[in-house]
Amino acid sequence: MKSSSASLSDVYRRLAWGWLAVVSLLVVLLALLLPRARLDSSVLSLLPASSLGKVPPQIENGFLQRLDKQMMWMVSPGNQPDAAAAQWWQTQLQQQPFLQDVQGPMEAKSQQEWGKFYFENRNGLLDNQTRSRLQNGGEAQAQWVLSQLYSAFSGVSGKELTNDPLMLVRGSQLALQQTASQMRLQNGWLVARDKQGRYWYLLHGELKGSSFDMQQGRVAVEQLRALQQKLKSQFPDAQVMSRGTLFYSDYASQQAKHDVSTLGLATVIGVLLLVLLVFRSLRPLLLCATSVAIGALAGTAITLLCFGELHLMTLVMSMSIVGVSADYTLYYLTERMVHGAQNSPSASLRKVLPALLLALATTVIAYLIMILAPFPGIRQLAVFAASGLIASCLTVVCWYPFAVRGLPVRPVPCSRLLNGWLNAWQNNKAVRFGIPLALLFISLAGIVSLKINDDIASFQALPQDLVREEQAITALTGQGMDQKWFVVYGETAEQTLQRLEKLAPVLASAQKNKLIDSYRLIPLASLEQQQADLRLLREAAPVLQKRLAESGITVSAPNLQQMAVTPELWQKSVISSGWRLLWLTLPDGKSGALVPVSGVRDSAALAGLAAKLPGVSWVDRKVMFNELFSHFRSLLAGLLAAAVAAIALSYVLRLGVKRGLLSVLPSLLSLGGGLAALAFSGHALNLFSLLALVLVLGIGINYTLFFSNPRGTALTSLLAISVALLTTLFTLGMLVFSQTQAIASFGIVLSCGIFCAFLTAPLALPPSTQGKGKRE
Amino acid sequence: MNKIFLMALLLISFTVSAITLDDVQRSFASQPVVRAKFQQERQISGMAQPLHSSGEVLIAKSKGLWWQQQHPFPMTLVLDDSHMAQKMGTQPPQIITADSNPQMFQFNHLLRALFQADRKVLDENFSSVFTDQGKGQWQLVLTPTTTPLDKLFSTITLQGDKYLKRIALNDLQGDFTEIIFSNHRPEPRKLTNEEQQRFAF
Repeated sequence: MKSSSASLSDVYRRLAWGWLAVVSLLVVLLALLLPRARLDSSVLSLLPASSLGKVPPQIENGFLQRLDKQMMWMVSPGNQPDAAAAQWWQTQLQQQPFLQDVQGPMEAKSQQEWGKFYFENRNGLLDNQTRSRLQNGGEAQAQWVLSQLYSAFSGVSGKELTNDPLMLVRGSQLALQQTASQMRLQNGWLVARDKQGRYWYLLHGELKGSSFDMQQGRVAVEQLRALQQKLKSQFPDAQVMSRGTLFYSDYASQQAKHDVSTLGLATVIGVLLLVLLVFRSLRPLLLCATSVAIGALAGTAITLLCFGELHLMTLVMSMSIVGVSADYTLYYLTERMVHGAQNSPSASLRKVLPALLLALATTVIAYLIMILAPFPGIRQLAVFAASGLIASCLTVVCWYPFAVRGLPVRPVPCSRLLNGWLNAWQNNKAVRFGIPLALLFISLAGIVSLKINDDIASFQALPQDLVREEQAITALTGQGMDQKWFVVYGETAEQTLQRLEKLAPVLASAQKNKLIDSYRLIPLASLEQQQADLRLLREAAPVLQKRLAESGITVSAPNLQQMAVTPELWQKSVISSGWRLLWLTLPDGKSGALVPVSGVRDSAALAGLAAKLPGVSWVDRKVMFNELFSHFRSLLAGLLAAAVAAIALSYVLRLGVKRGLLSVLPSLLSLGGGLAALAFSGHALNLFSLLALVLVLGIGINYTLFFSNPRGTALTSLLAISVALLTTLFTLGMLVFSQTQAIASFGIVLSCGIFCAFLTAPLALPPSTQGKGKRE
Repeated sequence: MNKIFLMALLLISFTVSAITLDDVQRSFASQPVVRAKFQQERQISGMAQPLHSSGEVLIAKSKGLWWQQQHPFPMTLVLDDSHMAQKMGTQPPQIITADSNPQMFQFNHLLRALFQADRKVLDENFSSVFTDQGKGQWQLVLTPTTTPLDKLFSTITLQGDKYLKRIALNDLQGDFTEIIFSNHRPEPRKLTNEEQQRFAF
């Protein structure tokens, strides 16, 4: 033994240098990757990238980016209509550097342009109703023109009749009015009136620039808030409501920032105080921090290397991994503190190494199960956790035998309390059977009352005032942010438009059958359709002239030239204002159109309709995510059960049936306890709570394995586990206070789960060391 | 003090003696159903001869307005609180509901307000000049203050006594429309079964 210790320390030295080389490499890697890395904060992007189905990705991204840039405001002067406040608001918005294309009232000039474009292109801009009146020779159109002429309130002028005898402009204007929202036009403004009698003026605009990072978003939101205050001081009765993805993403990043800064600070202070109290030295702090930092470094570098980006959720949860990886340092340092007088550092390491490696291996397996989940964010978490833990453990193994020389050696603190606890487990039946039974009972009661909720909306606690404004705007304008729409796409603009025309009758009948309330279809026809319309017009014109002549009205022959309206022309014209968002043409000619649908009653039926048409895809993001969440929740539950079975099997193989099963009991009770806590705190089971259970399983294994290490001593193990529990509670436990609901419920399951694991870990004490606790 | 009281009394008695818009509204409101014939003449600038049409109209306080042009071709328009239906010739009726299109419906409310002299709606959309023309005759000249009315009409003039007798519309383009009502029949004071059917949707 003595002779081999020289070569052994050589091995240790080589290991230490080798690990230093690896760590340096990781630092270089991180320095290279970090500048190009992207921090993502949307819960939605935790989900599979393929969620939009078969829509070409450039079109899908183009639409989503554009929608994310949209801003909408409604300004109310009070119960009397007065555009001054809205006008002031528009002027202010137009001065903001982060906004572009701020639109308020339709100017008289653009109203004229609007009419002019419609007139000049009337033969290519037929609406559906005119089209149907033109069928069968156009008799119906002639009747309609006559009725307009005779109606006292239609406002048909002689000029209109001369220039546009078929009244095509009038027809398309009326049709547009019918598809228009619930708002009315007042002096150019779109105005709505709410139930309290307040008038609301609509404005909209776009964020400037393609990407908006957290800082820019913050500045913009604050600037808008300040403007709102200013508006109120100038117009005391005025109110503003806003809508835009910006507000939500800013809220989310503020919340995350709050979580990271407050929880992060509490975590650091808590862990530092604890270590100082137990070890009475500053060095363990440094060692803990080093192993934790190297774990975090390796986790970040490897995750960025694999994925190129890091999700905010991964980052927040990596705080917990930081806590877990400190356990290894603590276990080794506890061993050194208690037995440092008798054993050399390498002997101490040999004593804890089996438990350490066994715990590491089991925990890494528990984390790596999550890599099977096809959610990018969760895969990132799995990779981050596994690589971070391995690096942290290697730091302990390779470096710390050299770093612990001269560390204060002192007896186990609170040894009476800890010994009492161990004795109670061995001698007091009420404890040995009572605690597990009580936990079993609580677990069962909790699991019975546990509810399942896969609704993605419940994971993100959205700010009430934002949601209220959003709902109010939806009620006033009739335009929701449901994110339910058909995406129609094609190789060319013409193909896309033709596909839209195939979809149109399907939508009309869906509306008639009450599958949906309404939909918005861009008022633009394919060239093919425009040709067909022209044929109808040429047939109908003589009939109209004849009918008018019978009533004593003579009109000149209408202009029946082709007036082709291409998407390009349409997009540049004023008439596409308010519709442009729904059309997208890529540089290669591929095009897409969005058809927003509101009042959806049967999402699956609409998906079925879309499936029958080429180039049409139904997108209902919420339903899709809920299904995915529920699918992967069941998947993870299965994986978890498999992991428990595998662990039980390994215990039974190693320790025999009786002790093996006894050792798996703490794990089972900790899972049950976590679930019960979830139920009793009023939360529902979702994907995130299952992820927490996977962690509980991993950490519970640590505790059990530290205790069942035959080379260890029960009291030292108990001390190490107690310190580990407290550090974990200071880290993971902090997540309970997160304002993001998904993270908070994750924290609850974890904290309560590992506490149960701690309570029942003494069940795994090996028989040979039982009673040893008294003698230490 | 006495002087002020006297003045007030004079003022009150003066206002009571002349017909006001409120009087007209009250008088119209006391007629639950009015049936009448209408004669319409529409002069469109640039057109050689005016367009003449005629038919029957029914104004029911509880239901709405039924307007049936019989000559030179049949066309029926029905307005109630939540629907507007227009039927002409052999075409299926076009029905617009208030929920689906408030913008268009605003205009229909206005039409009904004209026939019922609904002061509140009129005040929201027009500035008005009311004149008592003596012998129970009155005239109300309305100038639109809201879009799109102000883009269509320069003035709308109503004349009548117990009943609405004449509506004259001056278009901004210089067109002119005159509707003359005659043969007013307030009895029976309730809608007959057949008349009720006209408002069934």
